[in-house]
Amino acid sequence: MKIRNRILTIALTACCLLGLPAGAQAADLPPLSHSLTVVEPRLAPELKFKDLEGRMHDLAELRGKVVLINFWATWCPPCRREMPSMERLAQVLKGEPFVALAVDVGEDAETIEAFTSQLDTTLTFPILLDTRGRSMQAWKVSGLPTTFLVDKQGRIVASAIGGREFDHPEIVQTVRELIGK
Amino acid sequence: MRPTALTLLAAWPLVGFATESSVDPESGLTTWQTENHGIQVRLTQITPDQARAFYQARGFSSKAAERYASECVFMTVVRNIGDSPVEHRLADWRYVSADQPPRGIRSKDDWEALWSQLGVAEAARIAFAWAQFPTEQRFAPGDWNQGMTTYSVPRGAHFDLQFVWRTGARTFSGKLEQVRCANENP
Repeated sequence: MKIRNRILTIALTACCLLGLPAGAQAADLPPLSHSLTVVEPRLAPELKFKDLEGRMHDLAELRGKVVLINFWATWCPPCRREMPSMERLAQVLKGEPFVALAVDVGEDAETIEAFTSQLDTTLTFPILLDTRGRSMQAWKVSGLPTTFLVDKQGRIVASAIGGREFDHPEIVQTVRELIGK
Repeated sequence: MRPTALTLLAAWPLVGFATESSVDPESGLTTWQTENHGIQVRLTQITPDQARAFYQARGFSSKAAERYASECVFMTVVRNIGDSPVEHRLADWRYVSADQPPRGIRSKDDWEALWSQLGVAEAARIAFAWAQFPTEQRFAPGDWNQGMTTYSVPRGAHFDLQFVWRTGARTFSGKLEQVRCANENP
């Protein structure tokens, strides 16, 4: 039964992805940006969710590390496009006090796994499940993808709306500068 | 439309935009795009079949998905291509089709009320809400977003979309002209 459900989920996801118009596919979308908007530092709202394996992650416990938080969903074309670059960023900064967190909005683990299994890249950063979109209001997210950069003091210091190339040298440099502070 | 809204639309300077269109050779679907004064706006046709499939895959019943697909659906992309922040409210946008007064785009709240009546599950409604183009947003330079917008226009019919945005203290409006509602088979 579980296998049948999984096949159904994959089929539905494929249908869903294929069902999007050409304009929603990668080839016809605007290019991914690499800008981050620096904002007046403010304390980040609470963020505490389980990941795909059921492990709890709490942003409050990540003080002392720079955290990139990306709100996304599998049906969102720019979200899918930027995901591999987020993994590359995580790899570039491996061993440094940096954590990348992807917060999926409104989907279950099976749907997400059906998507990640299609990627050429294995995602090693945690994917958190906000199945009811509870965090959106506190984080003032009005569209997906939206990304925040949180400094070692737990403050939001930069944000980005729309798809990004996260391993672009300018973003890597911005994160490294925060790590060095 | 309320007279005040019409008056405001008339008051905002309409920037001289050229609408470009292109057809995707694989899907046959058309995209309309225009850009000026730091903003790029793009509409891409979504066929009724695509709309049905998308929402049924997110948990919509056939009836609810059919209701959405009966509208003219477009993937909508807004991008800040300038150097200053840009703000917009979907409630300020208007579309004009033949023999019809300017109309506003159906809001997420209106859809939400309909889905509630039709008993659409909460998870499906959450997915729906996030798949629509955001009600209002502020884009820093380089920011962009996309989502679906709907128009009550017959299949194959044309309309003009007048969009409004603010940058600094100034409000502008621009137009995508002769946008065409997708047919069942493009």
